Amino acid sequence: MITPAFIYMLFFVGYPIFYNIILSFQDVTVKTLRSDVKEFVGFRNYIELIQQDNVLAMSLWNTLVFTVLSLIFQFIIGFALALLFNNKFKFSKPVRGLLMIPWMIPITVTGLIFKFMFGTDVGIINYFLHSMNLISENIDWLTNTATAMPAVIFANVWIGIPFNMILISTGLTTIPAELYESASIDGANKFHIFRSITLPLLKPTIESVLILGFIYTFKVYDLVYVMTNGGPVNSTQVLSTYSYKLSFDMFKYSKGAAVANILFIILFFVSLLYLKYVYVEEEA
Amino acid sequence: MGINGSLSKRKNIIYCIISVVILCLLLFPLYWILITSLKTEKEIFQIPPTFWPKELNLKSYRAQLESGDFNMFHSFGNSLIISLGAMTISIILAVPASYGIAKYNFVGKKAIILGFLVTQMLPVSVLLTPLFIMFKDMHLYNTFWSTIFADATIGIPFSVLILKNYFAAIPKELEEAAYIDGCNKFTAFIRVLIPIAKPGVMVCGIFSFLYAWGDLAYGMTFIIDQEKRPITAGIFNFMGQYGTKWSYLTAFAIVTIIPVALIFIFMQKYIISGMTSGAVKG
Repeated sequence: MITPAFIYMLFFVGYPIFYNIILSFQDVTVKTLRSDVKEFVGFRNYIELIQQDNVLAMSLWNTLVFTVLSLIFQFIIGFALALLFNNKFKFSKPVRGLLMIPWMIPITVTGLIFKFMFGTDVGIINYFLHSMNLISENIDWLTNTATAMPAVIFANVWIGIPFNMILISTGLTTIPAELYESASIDGANKFHIFRSITLPLLKPTIESVLILGFIYTFKVYDLVYVMTNGGPVNSTQVLSTYSYKLSFDMFKYSKGAAVANILFIILFFVSLLYLKYVYVEEEA
Repeated sequence: MGINGSLSKRKNIIYCIISVVILCLLLFPLYWILITSLKTEKEIFQIPPTFWPKELNLKSYRAQLESGDFNMFHSFGNSLIISLGAMTISIILAVPASYGIAKYNFVGKKAIILGFLVTQMLPVSVLLTPLFIMFKDMHLYNTFWSTIFADATIGIPFSVLILKNYFAAIPKELEEAAYIDGCNKFTAFIRVLIPIAKPGVMVCGIFSFLYAWGDLAYGMTFIIDQEKRPITAGIFNFMGQYGTKWSYLTAFAIVTIIPVALIFIFMQKYIISGMTSGAVKG
């Protein structure tokens, strides 16, 4: 019964992963794509990527910065909102529901929205900053190497807040109310309760939110591609956009595959971490 | 904080106000593109900006019905075909697979579950280049099929992992009762098990659809003709060509959000259940 799904995934996922590895050890460009014999070049693609320019190192660094900063903000804001909506007030359910919308919107659209809002002359963000007297001249957010990354991270935090909020919300509901009650009878204050009851009991949820968040954020593609396409001067280039650029703008398929493999290897190890710490724990 | 039970009237009001303020802040970007799509191009660039269109301008939407350059309603149709296709494949393959995993023990079961789990975490970049070459060889390049097949690779593992929990929760006795009533394995599956697992199937259908609807990388890479591309790729293309025609661009964005909004309005409970069970349980 599982055979059809299994074969499908083997053919459209398993084989491509394997093929991608092979590809990264060959020299396939637009010229050699159609030929039957493809030259085996060993680690040459990887070595050239490391030696030739620093775009690879830069993309790796950018991906890490993007991921870590996005996670920090998403997590903190998501956590705060989860705590807020854990109170059963009149609007808690409908408002929490509406806050899910940013997560559901196609990322292409989200990229477009923030490209518009971060626009130099047309953008509402510059207008707000102006009217609060925080800036005197318009910032060209997405075309300046110093501000492009913060802008993209801002957009990504917006996408990620619902995900963090809803998972932590679910985690909070598993904490029995009696624990809180007896703690407050014992005279513990709110901060104390949070530190010694909420946080420790929420640890599995927090672990899973952060590891999953890391995986989903680290493989970011659409958002960066739509907002900046890795620019200006690679200041927002991440591993996936760099891989795409090599394969489909420069037609160096093998180099693109090599960068994708580096991304894959990193995520593979983080996935193992997830399986070890979170998934196995829950299945047991 | 965390103390369930009823709040005092005053606290209730304060929380309601705070939550509405947060809601307005977080959903402002959506409001902003909606009203921008209803403004004239001139009003969009006006300083100070208007927070409500001075004159209602529906031209950005209407122009799409007439002009040929990039017809968003046509692209919308393409996206619909691709997403429904990917959704159908995901469900047809995932329902029996998840049932098999839930009800039978076999060698390598654990490895297969882990395999599906890891697939969900796979970056598109890894599949993009090899699938591109494979689809070229299979003559599927530049057809809907290429993108449908690629999009289903996101929906299938998600659906299998969600549905296996639903099927595992159905008691054996129910199935046995169906056999006594004269059902065979297949009819018992169709008539008894699927209806019970229906909420799970709904979640999987919705998410498989949403994943495909939101895809940009596959649709853009595997389909080259603008007339066949999904709406996300169409928008991206248009941004490249007419980067500052924001009245049109925001109108495209709104049209792209419509199915998402409809799903949200009518099927909200499935979304929250899918997000939590999909992510936490794997």
